[in-house]
Amino acid sequence: MEEVRIGVYVCNCGTNIAKVVDCDAICASLSKMPNVAVARTYKYMCSTPGQEMIVEDIRKNNLNRVVVAACSPRMHERTFRKALQTAGINPYFFEMANIREQCSWVHENEETATAKAEALTRAAILRVAHHEPLENLYADMCPSTLVLGGGIAGLSAALELAESGHPVFLVEKTDRLGGNLARVDLTAPHLYSARDLLTDRIARVRANPYVQLMLESELKSLSGFVGNFTAIVGAAKKNGDPHKEHVLEVGSVVVCTGYKEFDAGRVTHFGYGKLPNVVTSFEFEKMLREGNIRTKEGRIPEYFAIVHCVGSRSRDFHGYCSRVCCMTALKYAHEIKSAIPNSYVSDLYIDMHAFGKGHEDFYRGSSEAKTLFLMYGKNEHPVIKRAQPGEESEMLIEVNEQLSGETIEIPADMVILMVGMEARSESGDVARLVNISQDKDGWYIESHPKLDPVATTTEGIFIAGTCAAPKDIPDTVAQARAAAARILGRIAKQKIEIDAVFAEVDEDLCSGCRVCNSLCPYSAVEFDEEKKRSRVNSALCKACGACVAACPSCAIKARHFTDRQIFAQIEGVLR
Amino acid sequence: MSFEPKIVGFLCNWCSYAGADLAGTSRIQYPANVRVIRVMCSARIDPTFVLKALRDGADGVLICGCHPGDCHYTEGNYKALRRYELLKQTLCAFGIEEARVRLEWVSASEGQVFAEVVTDMTEKIRALGPSRFRVEQENASQPVHQEVTK
Amino acid sequence: MPIRVNPKLVNEIERYGAEDVSKCYHCGNCSAVCPHSTQPFVFPRAPMRLLQMGFESKLQNSLEPWLCYYCGQCSEQCPRDAEPGETMMSLRRWLISRYDFTGLSRLFYRSWKAELGALLIMAVLTGVGFLLWGFTHGDIRSYDGPNAFLASSAVHIFDWTMAVVLTLFLTANCVRMWWFTVAGRKDISVPLLSYLRGVYLIPLHFFTQKRYAECGHKTSWAVHMVLMASYVTMFVLIMFFLHAVQAGPEINWNVHIFGYLATAGLIGACIVMLRARVKKDHVWSERSHASDWMFLVLLLYVSVTGILQHILHRSGLGMAANITYVCHMMGVVPMLLIEVPFSKWAHMAYRPLAMFFADLTAEALLAKEKKPSGLSSPQLAEIG
Repeated sequence: MEEVRIGVYVCNCGTNIAKVVDCDAICASLSKMPNVAVARTYKYMCSTPGQEMIVEDIRKNNLNRVVVAACSPRMHERTFRKALQTAGINPYFFEMANIREQCSWVHENEETATAKAEALTRAAILRVAHHEPLENLYADMCPSTLVLGGGIAGLSAALELAESGHPVFLVEKTDRLGGNLARVDLTAPHLYSARDLLTDRIARVRANPYVQLMLESELKSLSGFVGNFTAIVGAAKKNGDPHKEHVLEVGSVVVCTGYKEFDAGRVTHFGYGKLPNVVTSFEFEKMLREGNIRTKEGRIPEYFAIVHCVGSRSRDFHGYCSRVCCMTALKYAHEIKSAIPNSYVSDLYIDMHAFGKGHEDFYRGSSEAKTLFLMYGKNEHPVIKRAQPGEESEMLIEVNEQLSGETIEIPADMVILMVGMEARSESGDVARLVNISQDKDGWYIESHPKLDPVATTTEGIFIAGTCAAPKDIPDTVAQARAAAARILGRIAKQKIEIDAVFAEVDEDLCSGCRVCNSLCPYSAVEFDEEKKRSRVNSALCKACGACVAACPSCAIKARHFTDRQIFAQIEGVLR
Repeated sequence: MSFEPKIVGFLCNWCSYAGADLAGTSRIQYPANVRVIRVMCSARIDPTFVLKALRDGADGVLICGCHPGDCHYTEGNYKALRRYELLKQTLCAFGIEEARVRLEWVSASEGQVFAEVVTDMTEKIRALGPSRFRVEQENASQPVHQEVTK
Repeated sequence: MPIRVNPKLVNEIERYGAEDVSKCYHCGNCSAVCPHSTQPFVFPRAPMRLLQMGFESKLQNSLEPWLCYYCGQCSEQCPRDAEPGETMMSLRRWLISRYDFTGLSRLFYRSWKAELGALLIMAVLTGVGFLLWGFTHGDIRSYDGPNAFLASSAVHIFDWTMAVVLTLFLTANCVRMWWFTVAGRKDISVPLLSYLRGVYLIPLHFFTQKRYAECGHKTSWAVHMVLMASYVTMFVLIMFFLHAVQAGPEINWNVHIFGYLATAGLIGACIVMLRARVKKDHVWSERSHASDWMFLVLLLYVSVTGILQHILHRSGLGMAANITYVCHMMGVVPMLLIEVPFSKWAHMAYRPLAMFFADLTAEALLAKEKKPSGLSSPQLAEIG
C-alpha cells in the first residue's frame, strides 16, 4: 500500500474564521502529525487561487489525501472534491473540518475556539487516512416528470417541460386548473388581470400533447430514486374508484401544491362570521371579479377599512410575513377608488412591506389617491364592532394608532381582512410521500435556502411556489421554471450520477441472519436465496447506515462512513 | 482552571448537522465543549461509537436526529431511539450516569434549539464532573495528582 | 374615549391650498429639520397626522401652525413631496377661518371669487361714498384748505371709526383663538400671573418677528421686517398725524420723510414678494393661494396710489390728486375691512398671540409634570 501523504489546508475565510481561531497555530501544530506532508493557511480556500494551491500541492508533493478546515461541508465539500478530481486523485480522498459554522461563528473565546478547531481538523486528518477511493454510479434518467398541483407554479413548470418536448403528468386535486390565482381579480402592482395570466397558460397546457392532465387525482405513493421513480396516482376523492390508479414512471417530481388561506374565524376580535360585512380578502376578490361591491344588505359602502396581517406576523398565529397581502391591500384600495370614487379607504397595517419591483411606486400612488394609512402595533389588535344606529357608518374599528399615539375609531361599512398564507393541512402527507421535510410552519424545506432554493434534500424532488413559503406570482413562476430548467438539464444528460456513498455487504462475513432486510426503508437489501447471503441494491440504497449499525456480524460496510473512519474521527476529537 | 467537559456529538447530516450550521449562520453562541461528527442518519450510530467515545475520554455523548416523523430515511430516528434506550441501560450497569449520553431531536431549522441543548448538556456534565472512564484512564496512565482539573 | 377618524377633513383643507397631505408616510424628517420644532410643539409631522386622520378639534386647538414661518426646509427634505410647509400654511388659513365667528373668512378662503367680489363691492361702495361726500362738502379741484374735497379731519374720523370696527372683529376672533388653544384646554390650567409675566411677548414678536430670523433665511426675514415696519409706520402716520401728512403743498420733512421711507419699504417688499411668487424660486413661493395674490396686489396698489396722490398734490394738480385719493381709498378700505379680520393680514395679530400662548402652554405643561401626585381639577374634569 502506498504511503499516505496528507495535505492540510486551514482557511481564514477572510476574518470569519481567523478573527477567533488562530489558523497559523493550528497549521504549525498539525503539520507535526504523522502522514501530514503539507499544512497551509490561506485567506479563502474556496477561491480559485485557493483551489489551485491544493491542485498544485497534490501534483508537486504527491499528496493522496486532502483535509480542508473551513466552512460546513454542506457548503463546499463538492467544490474541493472537484479540485481533487482536477489534480487527478479520487475525490473521496477528501475530508472537511467544519471550523466556521460550528466553531468560529458560535464561540467567542479565542483559546477554546482554537483548541476545538484543532481537534476537529485533527479528527479529519485521522479520518482521511482511512478513506477509500470510490466511484460514482450512473443510472438512466427517465425524461418524464410528475408535477403535483395545477396552480400557476404547476402550470409554469409543466409548460416549460412539455414545450421542450418531454412528457409531463400534471396532477391536480380539484376539478379545474388555476389554483388560488384563479380566485383573484387583478394582480398588484401592474394590475394585470389574473384571468388573462391563467387562461393562456391553461389553454397551452390543455393543447400540449406532452402533458397528461390528471384532474381530481392525487399522488398515492412514490418509490424508486432520482431518475427512476415509480408513482401511483389515484382519485383524489376518498370514495373514488380505487381501480383507476395509474402507475407512472417518472424521473423527477415537482411539488407545487400551493397554500391555503388563513381562517379568519380563528381571530375573535374582528367579528368575522358575526358581523356580516367583515369579509376576507378572497371573499372581496370574488366581489371584485363579479364587479359588484356591495354590503350584505345590498348598499354601496362609503367607508372601507382594510386590515393587514390577519394571521400573519402575530404571536398567536403565524410569526412569518405572508408577503403578498400588503400589495394586494393597496390593489384593493385602487380598485375600490376606481369603482366607487366617493368612498374612503382606511388601511390598517403593522409595517408596509413594499419590497418588490414597482411596489414602492404603487404604495406612493395609493397615498396620493388618499388612502388613509393607519399603523397598529404588532401583537395589538384592532377591534371591530357594530356602530350605534344613526352613525355615519355601519361599523367602528377601535385601535391604538401608532403614528399619532392615539386610540382611534375608524368608521367602516365594509372591512376587508387580509388573510395570510399557511401551509395546507395535507402538506405533511405529501412531504412523507415524496420524502421531503417541512419547517416549523409546515413549508417545505429547500436544499439550501439561498443557493439551491428549488431542490430538496431528496434528489429528484423539486419544490416550487407557495408550498415552500409565501411568495408572489413572479417569484412562484421563477421558481417553477427554475425547477423545470434543473430537470431539463438532467434529461439532456440522459444519465444520472448517483453518489458513491452506499452500503455494501461482505459476503464472507454475512451469516444470512436477515436482520438488515426488514430494516431498510427502501427495500434495498435483498436476500440471495441461493447463496443465503444478503445483498444491497446500490441504486436503491440511500446510505442511511441503519443496516450497518444493526448487523451483528459487522458484515455491512457504509461506504465513506465506515466504522474505522468514524473511530478515527472519535480519536481525533478526543485526543 | 475548572473542569471543561469533552462532549462528542453525533449529528444527522439532514437535520441536526444543518441545524448546527444554522446556529452558526445565526451566530448563536454556545459552549465550545461539543465536537461534532457527522453521520448520514442517527440510525447509523452504532452503540460502539458511543462506547468508543466514552472509553477515549469523552465526558458526554450527544446524539441528534430528526424529529419523529421527519426522518430523511423515513424512520431511522426511531431505530436510533430504540438503540439509545437499550444502550442507556447498559451504560447504567457500567456506572455511567444517564445524563452523559443524551438523545435529542433537532431539525434543520432549529439552530437555537441545538445551541440550547449543547449549553444545557455542558452545564449538566460540568456539574457531574469527569466521566468514570476518563478518570480511570488518566489514573492508569499518569501519576495520580495530575488531575483532570488541570 | 377613542377619537373618531374623519377622512373627509383632508378634502376640506385642500380648499385652503394643501395638496399633498395624504402623501406623507410619517418618516418625521420634516420635524427633525425644522428649527422651531421643539417639545412640546413638534411639527410639521404631528399636525400632518392629525390632518390625515381628520382630528378636527385637536387641530383647531393646536398652536403649531402659527409657530411655522414657512422657511420651506421641511418641504425640501420630504422624501415623498408631501409639502409639509404648504400644509402648515394651509392650516393657518383654515385656523383663521375657524377663529372667525362670522364665517366670512371661511367663505373667502374657500372661494377666491367670493373674496374678489367682496373686495370689488367694498371698493365700489367706498368710491361712491367718498365721491358723494366730496362733492357735497368741498371742491374736487382743491386738495387741502377749507374747501378741500376730502378734508383730513373728516377722513381722520372715518379712519378711527374703521379702526374701532376692525379691532372689535379682530379682538373677538383673538378671544376665540385664546379659548381654543389655551383657556378651553382641559389638561392644563394657566394662572393669571403667567399671563401678566408673559404678555410682553406679544409686542416683542410683533415688532421683531425674531422667530422668523431663526429660520435661517435672513433675507426673507428682512423683507418681512421691512414690510412690517413700513406698515406700522404708515399706520401711526395715518392714525395720529393725518393732518400733518395731508397738509401741503410744501413738504414737511419732519413728517413726510417717514411716509416716504414707509412707502418705499412697502412698495419694495411687495415687489420682492410678488416677484418671488411669479418666479416660484423658493419652496415657500412655489404655490400661491388666491388670497396671497390678492393681498400683495392690493397692498402694492394702495402704496402706489398713496404716493401718487401725494406727488400730484405737491405738483399742484388738485383734481388729479383728489381722484387718485379716492382710488387710493377704494383700495385701503376693502384691504383693511377684508384682509385684516378675515384673511391674510390676520397673521399680524395671531402670530404674536400664538407665541405668547405657546409660551403659556409649555409652562403649564411643565408645571403639571412637576406636580408630585394627585390629579389636578382639570384632569378630574377630563376624566368625568
